[in-house]
Amino acid sequence: MKKVATPEYDIKDKLKYHVSALSTAAKEVVLPLNITTHYPRERKKMPDCFRGYILFDPERCISCFECSFVCPANAIWMKEAPSGRYYPTLDYGKCIFCHFCVDTCPGGALKQTKIHDVAYKDMDEMFTLTEEMIEPPEIIREDEGYVEYEIDKEDLSLKRTKGIDKLIVDVAPSQGVPMVSLCVEPESCLGCGICEGMCESGAVSSLKEDGMVRMKIDVDKCTGCGLCVKECSMQILRLVRK
Amino acid sequence: MAAIGVSEWEVKIPEKPQKDKLYFENLKAKVIDTNLCSRCLTCACVCPVDGIIATDGVEFPNYEEECTDCGACVRVCPRFVYEPKSGMGDYIEFIAGRSKRFKGQDGAMATELIVSAMEMGMIDRGLFVGRDEQWVTEIFHVRDPEQLEVLPLGGTKYTFASVLPELKKAARFTKKGVGIVGTPCMVSGVRKLQQEFPFFRERIKLVVGLFCTENFHHDELTKYLKEKGVDFSKLIKTDITMGKFIATMTDGEVKFKVKALEEILPSGCNVCTDFTAVESDASVGSVGSAAGFSTVAVREENAKKIIDFIKKKGYADFGEADPAQLDFLIGHKKKREENIKRD
Ligand SMILES: Cc1cc2nc3c(=O)[nH]c(=O)nc-3n(C[C@H](O)[C@H](O)[C@H](O)COP(=O)(O)OP(=O)(O)OC[C@H]3O[C@@H](n4cnc5c(N)ncnc54)[C@H](O)[C@@H]3O)c2cc1C
Ligand code: SF4
Ligand code: SF4
Ligand code: SF4
Repeated sequence: MKKVATPEYDIKDKLKYHVSALSTAAKEVVLPLNITTHYPRERKKMPDCFRGYILFDPERCISCFECSFVCPANAIWMKEAPSGRYYPTLDYGKCIFCHFCVDTCPGGALKQTKIHDVAYKDMDEMFTLTEEMIEPPEIIREDEGYVEYEIDKEDLSLKRTKGIDKLIVDVAPSQGVPMVSLCVEPESCLGCGICEGMCESGAVSSLKEDGMVRMKIDVDKCTGCGLCVKECSMQILRLVRK
Repeated sequence: MAAIGVSEWEVKIPEKPQKDKLYFENLKAKVIDTNLCSRCLTCACVCPVDGIIATDGVEFPNYEEECTDCGACVRVCPRFVYEPKSGMGDYIEFIAGRSKRFKGQDGAMATELIVSAMEMGMIDRGLFVGRDEQWVTEIFHVRDPEQLEVLPLGGTKYTFASVLPELKKAARFTKKGVGIVGTPCMVSGVRKLQQEFPFFRERIKLVVGLFCTENFHHDELTKYLKEKGVDFSKLIKTDITMGKFIATMTDGEVKFKVKALEEILPSGCNVCTDFTAVESDASVGSVGSAAGFSTVAVREENAKKIIDFIKKKGYADFGEADPAQLDFLIGHKKKREENIKRD
């Protein structure tokens, strides 16, 4: 075992430290400096770009799977809805709140909030289904004010404001550019129909007639998700602006 | 929008000899099961579900479930409607060459052609056949000549190599073009791919063919060579010259008449009549020139340009090559026409 010697102070040092401690205590009595947030009666004000609980707007989702592809924690699983379309579910047991999904979503269907205090009873409950992602979770709010920290030189000070900080920020979701899948090299098409199998919107059809396959992409039905583009073995489909 | 792509198009699909069967079953019945299959793997290259694989033969283990019945395999298989090629083929120039930069099976001109094409900017990717310690063939995508210094390539492997299945990947990623070296059956497969699909036509820029009498199945050849006393851990080179198979090891060599290998001659090679890869851009082989040199038959303009580039840069020594020396093997393969059963 290694022994560490305690510092030795002479009487002059000891006296100096005692005076400093007593004066700090005296200052706190007269002018208390408290940097602890009194949660839940008050909340810390988070910046608008805070990466908290994620909301989902199915109207904006094009079922491109991009969020699930990008998620580094594998927290997003695309689940089939009764319509046949796939929408994200989010497992908060895995989510690391990087918000790559929010940033990636081409249609702005995922929205960041400042909600960071959702409690779950067990792991199962942390698995959030699509329908549970549409409305913000119910949280009981007892806060009457919020605090902001300010750094002045080396000192940290606290600014207290009365009122309630909005946890869902009014930022317009990204507009996204409407895209559509088209074939750029039809002579190289195999007619394999893999694109048709990939399309959840029923926009791609391959119809076998004698001696030929008729391929069609219904431009109105196509959401521009790009799944057929990814899966086409000949890489002859492209997403282009609608 | 229309200028960029189309939303409606048609794909012509081939006729099925057996209408009630899947295309793959037709391929199997007409080519694979009738011993016509050369194991060129053109079918595997094009199959959109990557279902076709090479084992002892060529198969699609799970075709009932996975085959999309698109017929692409049938469209590109050079032996589905087999038009055997033979003879010397046309050429612009017939020369002997020895690369100063690379060591190869003979004069390393196959490698030199690919690397020079890369330097010229004609291609940005070449597919090479290497091997592991057990001499099992492996395919490498070479994108920088420096890779050749570290990759386990080293000359001719007389066993089948799955080069073509890698070709689709190479074609997908290439910016300038792909260069490929292959046996005559592979060259014919590549030409079929190019004929059927602009995707391959536009992306494969150099096709180097090798002279080839036959190739072998890995398991059968290794078993045979082991019986002959070849120690694979010491094997450094295999070669067929002057009718002899020579396995060079670090401590000596095993030599025997190549005729003895007839008992393991693959059925697909037994019906192959193309010795010189007549459909290639340039064919490279051993016969026809002095030891240490590769014989090169330059057939197409692109290959001619590369040879001129090599000459200008002084990358290789050139000498005389004699096409007449190929006559015997060309004739030998021509005779295999008799083995093709026609229905
Ligand atoms: C199976 C086979 C049989 C052959 N038979 C004859 C013959 O009977 N008479 C004759 O004159 N020449 C024959 N050759 C060609 C000869 O062995 C040399 O490959 C040729 O002369 C080129 O030599 P090089 O030094 O220029 O090639 P290198 O620069 O050494 O390059 C060799 C090239 O061959 C490719 N290669 C090696 N093994 C295989 C394989 N199994 N399948 C496809 N590609 C491969 C490599 O990718 C590489 O690009 C045969 C080649 C093969 C692969
Ligand atoms: S996946 Fe590609 S090759 Fe297959 S049918 Fe669709 S567009 Fe054609
Ligand atoms: S999917 Fe198409 S290419 Fe593949 S085996 Fe079936 S018919 Fe042939
Ligand atoms: S000859 Fe080639 S393309 Fe035809 S079945 Fe055999 S491996 Fe496939």
